[in-house]
Amino acid sequence: MAQKVVEAYETGSGAGKNAPFVPIVHESLDLQADRLLPSQSNPFDINGGACVAMVGKDCVAIACDLRLGMQSLTISNNFPKIFNYAPSTYLGLTGLATDVNTVSDLFRYKVNMYRLREERDIAPQTLANLVSSSLYEKRFGPYFVSPVLAGINPTTGKPFICGFDSIGCIDFAKDFIVSGTASDQLFGTCEGLWEPDLAPEDLFETISQALLSAVDRDALSGWGAQVYIIEKDKVTQRLLKGRQD
Amino acid sequence: MPGFDFTNYNRNAALHARGVPLPKATSTGTTIVGCVYDKGVVIAADTRATSGPIVADKNCEKLHYIAPKIWCAGAGTAADTEFTTALISSNVELHSLSTGRDPRVITCMTMLKQHLFRYQGHIGAYLVVAGVDPTGTGLYTVHAHGSTDKLPYVTMGSGSLAAMSVFESTWRPDLDRQGAIDICAEAIKAGIFNDLGSGSNVDVCVIEKDQPTQLLRNYMKPNERPQKERNYRFPRGTTAYLDQRVISKEDMKKYVTIETLSGDDNLATGDSMEVDT
Amino acid sequence: MRGPTVLKAEDDKTRQLNKHTLMAFSGESGDTVQFAEYIQANAALYSMRNDTELSPSAVANFVRGELARSLRSRSPYTVNLLLGGIDPVTEKPHLYWVDYLASLAPLPYAAHGYAQYYCLSILDKHHHPDCSLEEGLALLTLCTDELKRRLPIDYKGMLVKVVTKDGVQEIAVDNDKVVRSA
Repeated sequence: MAQKVVEAYETGSGAGKNAPFVPIVHESLDLQADRLLPSQSNPFDINGGACVAMVGKDCVAIACDLRLGMQSLTISNNFPKIFNYAPSTYLGLTGLATDVNTVSDLFRYKVNMYRLREERDIAPQTLANLVSSSLYEKRFGPYFVSPVLAGINPTTGKPFICGFDSIGCIDFAKDFIVSGTASDQLFGTCEGLWEPDLAPEDLFETISQALLSAVDRDALSGWGAQVYIIEKDKVTQRLLKGRQD
Repeated sequence: MPGFDFTNYNRNAALHARGVPLPKATSTGTTIVGCVYDKGVVIAADTRATSGPIVADKNCEKLHYIAPKIWCAGAGTAADTEFTTALISSNVELHSLSTGRDPRVITCMTMLKQHLFRYQGHIGAYLVVAGVDPTGTGLYTVHAHGSTDKLPYVTMGSGSLAAMSVFESTWRPDLDRQGAIDICAEAIKAGIFNDLGSGSNVDVCVIEKDQPTQLLRNYMKPNERPQKERNYRFPRGTTAYLDQRVISKEDMKKYVTIETLSGDDNLATGDSMEVDT
Repeated sequence: MRGPTVLKAEDDKTRQLNKHTLMAFSGESGDTVQFAEYIQANAALYSMRNDTELSPSAVANFVRGELARSLRSRSPYTVNLLLGGIDPVTEKPHLYWVDYLASLAPLPYAAHGYAQYYCLSILDKHHHPDCSLEEGLALLTLCTDELKRRLPIDYKGMLVKVVTKDGVQEIAVDNDKVVRSA
């Protein structure tokens, strides 16, 4: 998980330094113009975005917001960050948008090659190790992404989720995984709302409310959300009504 | 040696030159310890993984397998401890297969230090290597820059000072198996409660001659969260959604599509593809 | 522009990639044309080799891939792109936004640079999915008027090209119209 470096708000301040105190700012126009250049900011925070995965009873859910921005300017409110790699295996990617594109394309290629070679779909556990080793290969020049994986193992039928930092360290979790610019908020909402053995419909409500509440407190995420509820032989994709500010 | 891929290095260096900070990986602000006793060696670790001030994983595994009777506790950059131990484990197995002997702890320690020294500390793995081999019991620490130590009791990570205080005050040279487990667990607990980078549970691994290695996962759980008295479950229908799409099992099968080519029948000559059902 | 000097008032900042795809670019001078013509040549090469044209989405992903590859080199191209095209099979229009970091986003309307701050709000308000050509041109005028009004530079006007299923054509626009500031 990427560490968030507190952005210094004063104009012309030192690049990417940890500000000891960050004032609450009512955004003024000149501050926005100052942020047109994506330099002096964390690559994980340029485009914004959030992703979360949760385990339920014989099901998993994964959700993401839909914003694509450049600092404070929103470019698109229809930029999904969840990608499908097998019938019940989904990967969410947050971070620098160009790397979200590159990494999602790279894994589409790698998973397609796997399917041709093995003549079967990739299991979520296998994809987790593929993601991990692919990211660690670039240990000294990483992709600026924080992936989240959710799926159901096609042979055992067991739910599986995990998360990664940008250099491929896997975080196996029994409950939930969060990533993106709203990850701090998501940790809070998920820790409060998640409970074990939620049925698919209840899991949908829990993950949706956890995500919506979190992104409403993050200026760089939001603008709609997408949720996938993954069951053994059914996947439900829903487009959430979210704030557009 | 498998190579790292530096294709993004120039891009990221250029970004860094423009003032962009380089990403901080999940680090195991950690307490790890090891202690020898009369017939073997014990290593132990806490289970907290952090990313800055955020607890990224409350119950991660910091005890890594190298060989059946050699295990490793890792602190520092989580991905580095994970992949470095996996790499050395693989090479140790190949080495023991080619020599036809059980792997030795000192061999493993040497391979680790040579690998880490080559990367001049850029691979941030701080390890406690422990095991039993034909020469006896081994317990070493390996630092990211490649330096090593051989001691009867060792601690590493951000909680090493808290843990060492336990060893320095209560360690005796004539420890038995349970005594070693107890002192290690106590040292980890000192880290868990006195170091903010360490937390959650105690994992223990006991390696003894002529005895199967025991990984005591979550040997102690001094920080269990009590069951919630009530819940925040939302009534179904709480969340408004604009659109939904259901992908059924039949649709999933369409993931692999088979299309018959129209027109000339001779176009498709191969056997039809077999598809998973 | 070279520093404060205007070198050319009517520079065509677009390149046609194939019959149904047009690319507009902005960014570091030198990089822009160099990159655009490299893409144009490769798109042409593909059309010649395979006797078919790439769809706009295929072109967009190719362009993004090339830009992402260049981003990881010692001297990356600093180019922002807008890619418009009609899919020759479905005859549906597509617009892609690509920035110099090689982020790709399909959008109903897009802009680059400071124009985004002025135009996106106008487009947010007035654009609708089944916008006709006439409405689109009127909307474009609304945008350029705002740029003339708000940007503190002598705005030399617009070059408008339309991509339809029949190909690319230039539309004459009145660049001498004076827009009064509020």
